[in-house]
Amino acid sequence: MFDNYVFTEGTCKNVEDKGQITGFSLQSLITYYRGIPCSMIHDIKVMVDGQEIPREKIRFSPDGTDYFTLDELTTVTTYKWEYGEQGTIFVEQAGGLSGGEHDVTLSIAVRVAYIPVPFGGTKTRQVMITQ
Amino acid sequence: MSDIKRAVSMYSLQDQYARKKMTLSDIFEYLNDLDAGLEFISDQMLKGTPEPSEESLAEWDRLVEQYKPDLVCNDIFINTCLYKNRTLTKKESVDLLIKEIKLAHRLGFKMVRLVSNTPANIIEPALPYAEKYDVVLTLEIHAGMSFDSPLTMEFIEVMKKLNSPYVGLTVDTGIFCRRHPRVSTNYFRDLGTNEEVISYIDHIFASGTDPKQFFAGVRSEGKQFPEELSLFLKTQNDFEYALFADGYEMSPFTILDEYMPYVKHIHGKIYEMTEEGVEYSIPFDELIKYLHKAGYNGYIATEYEGNRFTLPDMPILDKENVTAHQKMLKKYIDEL
Repeated sequence: MFDNYVFTEGTCKNVEDKGQITGFSLQSLITYYRGIPCSMIHDIKVMVDGQEIPREKIRFSPDGTDYFTLDELTTVTTYKWEYGEQGTIFVEQAGGLSGGEHDVTLSIAVRVAYIPVPFGGTKTRQVMITQ
Repeated sequence: MSDIKRAVSMYSLQDQYARKKMTLSDIFEYLNDLDAGLEFISDQMLKGTPEPSEESLAEWDRLVEQYKPDLVCNDIFINTCLYKNRTLTKKESVDLLIKEIKLAHRLGFKMVRLVSNTPANIIEPALPYAEKYDVVLTLEIHAGMSFDSPLTMEFIEVMKKLNSPYVGLTVDTGIFCRRHPRVSTNYFRDLGTNEEVISYIDHIFASGTDPKQFFAGVRSEGKQFPEELSLFLKTQNDFEYALFADGYEMSPFTILDEYMPYVKHIHGKIYEMTEEGVEYSIPFDELIKYLHKAGYNGYIATEYEGNRFTLPDMPILDKENVTAHQKMLKKYIDEL
């Protein structure tokens, strides 16, 4: 239902820290119609060329400054993922994505009180990485 | 003449705002052009809700001063699922509701809408705050979770017991669908939903009832759908189509008779305004006549939900639908 809001086009890129490529990041709008505390982000999944990224390699940041693992997110109640703001998903992966084209899939599910099952959206994009 | 008034729910303009096509200032201007009030969702357009920063509040004050919107209702949510491993306690939920009441008051709203399935036991403890801050608490009666839903029934019991002008209902007109929304059908058809499922659901509406009532018999036996429908459900989309069909109810307007003293607000749900200027599924002309006769003098706030069913890569016609619905409401209200 919220597939059109997941994985903002043109945001997937390798991330460099102190001269080393430490992973890659991508951005997304929330898969819902309002902002929620980050603890209500139920799950985030990333797939690259058909391979699922292990969940412990995934970090989420609601503001581009502070990053949380998915386990940590479960207690993050004072940071909100605001509506209309890009959240950043960082995947820790030494060397990042190799140069060339990749199929990258992002799935985000959120939990809300009045709907019995977590829901969200999924989007696959062909991403060109230039190195 | 009628005292029924018009507003627009910000649910309708979610895509405009998320994609930064419209700012809050653009929205206020648009509402003034329509001569319609504001139903706000502070979680959506006011950062940090329920505790926005002083800067956010100052910006709100500035815009309200400039555009003088008619502040009708703020839609609030009690996040009882804040934690993954437990549900909030009653005390935690009451505290959240009190914060929301104070925020609504600070923003200038005299009513909040609580989403369906909000726990009924938090209303009485919060009532003194609703009175003190002059904010009416209304539970949304939404198709799929309407009058026969256990949590709604619990709320209504509390509401009748308290019998306070500060506790009432917001009725969503999705409970008055006369047929399945065509935009939803086309959306699921595009995803490959089985035509037999689509036709089965259409036949239920054509027979004069809605899927929830039609399925009630087999559900009392523990089955989700009748056997003949289950045979058609081959994919996840088939299943979801049948499941979401519960979200469109075909109640008679008279279902509201006993609740009208408590009805404080109406969500004018729309899925698709047709070229003839009417809503495809919901007969607003009849609804407005019913409300007028019952003495209703509150607002009808346009809540455009067709955004959810826009086909991939097609523009979301949110403003077009809202404008057309407001024009229709004005016509019917003026005719009374």
